[in-house]
Amino acid sequence: MTAIRVLLALVGIGCAAYGVTLLLDQNPQDLLSVAIWFGAGIVVHDGVFAPLATAAGLAGRRILPRRWWAPLAVGAAGTVGLAAVAIPVLGRSGAVAGNTTVLDRDYGLGLASAILVVWAVVGIAELCRPSRITGLRAADRSRPDDPRA
Amino acid sequence: MTRLEQLQRTVFRHPGGPRGPELASRIGLALGTAVVVCFVTGLLSHWIQHPPAWFDWPTDPVWLYRFTQGLHVTSGIAAVPLLLAKLWSVYHRLFEPPVVGGIVRLLERASIAVLVGSMIFELTTGLLNIAQWYPWKFFFPTTHYAMAYIAIGSVTVHVAVKLPVVRRALGSPLEAGRADGGVSRRAVLLGVAVASSSAVVAVVGQSVPAVRRLSVLAPRSGQGPQGVPINRTAAAAGVEALARDPNYALTVVVGGIARTFAPAALAALPQRTVTLPIACVEGWSVSASWSGISVVDLVAAAGGEVTGDVSFQSLETSGIYGRSVLPVRHARDERTLIALTLNGEPLDIDHGYPCRLIAPSRPGVLQTKWLSRIEAS
Repeated sequence: MTAIRVLLALVGIGCAAYGVTLLLDQNPQDLLSVAIWFGAGIVVHDGVFAPLATAAGLAGRRILPRRWWAPLAVGAAGTVGLAAVAIPVLGRSGAVAGNTTVLDRDYGLGLASAILVVWAVVGIAELCRPSRITGLRAADRSRPDDPRA
Repeated sequence: MTRLEQLQRTVFRHPGGPRGPELASRIGLALGTAVVVCFVTGLLSHWIQHPPAWFDWPTDPVWLYRFTQGLHVTSGIAAVPLLLAKLWSVYHRLFEPPVVGGIVRLLERASIAVLVGSMIFELTTGLLNIAQWYPWKFFFPTTHYAMAYIAIGSVTVHVAVKLPVVRRALGSPLEAGRADGGVSRRAVLLGVAVASSSAVVAVVGQSVPAVRRLSVLAPRSGQGPQGVPINRTAAAAGVEALARDPNYALTVVVGGIARTFAPAALAALPQRTVTLPIACVEGWSVSASWSGISVVDLVAAAGGEVTGDVSFQSLETSGIYGRSVLPVRHARDERTLIALTLNGEPLDIDHGYPCRLIAPSRPGVLQTKWLSRIEAS
């Protein structure tokens, strides 16, 4: 396994170094813009999105009954996934001037309907067979809520 | 237990909660698969547009580029929720002591920053590009291409570093080390699958017409003049007056000798009708019926034969998309047309009137519109 790991590491470092040389062909203004977007991605995730997601999880665990956690987590994951891919189209219908064939949907309505469908599926699945989502046995489900939570 | 450890346990439920290598490695496997597919299909698209000497792209099946580029965008979309979930599953490690530490610790943190930064950069810029949104200074194609090597390289290094942990974690039961009856890892994986597949369904209809109506977040509904969307309009290209000029004629240069063909002369040449997809680098694609003159027939009418690559010049002279080079394999294919009609009607001006190139299995950006000059060696 050591040989494979060393090989992977060398190939990886080689690829990344090649990528850096390609990037460095750009002029300083473009490079600055690349650096800003690179850094902003990390800052927005680690400093904004992840703390908010963690806080939401913490709050949910404090407020909501334990048997709701799993279905709500599934629904929330679906919501976040849809919202993330909606960012570049939301509110941008018709944003490309003179071209009506791009951004040609009502994305607010689209996102709302897609989220609704996700929650409806989660709700139906939970009503029909709760253990499917939670993966817990009946014994676990009847256990009193963990006071530590 | 120190206070910091207690705080970590409360905030992240780690250890004991769903976070841990058993979860992270399973999400990582799915994310890694999407990233490799995305990288390979992206590389293919790059090579088609900037072919190295050894590279040869087939004309069959005609939908091959439509498939590979649809897969590129779709795997990127699938990777967005997977990346968020992967980062969620290991986020607590950012706060693990020592927060600063020695040189090895700093190097480890720096390598993770490159991995996270390049992955977020690739998915963000790709996602914004398919919606034609460019809130930055750099040129998207070259930067997205360069950063792809940094992303795939840092993923490979990460796999090299984590391989023993990953092997152990994938060999352990999913719920190993879970302490209580809260959210199971199984439920988290189900949530990740729901998030990734609903994101895919919400966009994939721009590449797969059968599910078009379900793809409520696709930047393209698939509508457009003559049933085909447009990327660059005649107005944006600044070619309206030239394209509608009554004295318009297509110049065909064969063996250094130029001949011109007025629209009536083009229409008088033997016409062929073929069904070919137009497939954009942005992932959307539509199949359509095109008719016009085969490039081989046109070159023959100009007194020559296709023996090498053929170059195409548009009436659009500004920018980098007004010119393309068609490899000899595609130029010799009889289905490669100088199209005059689209779905039974004369080409709409935004589709390249008076005539455009349409060849099998090529990116839309190389299917040059508003042709002014064709050169065969």
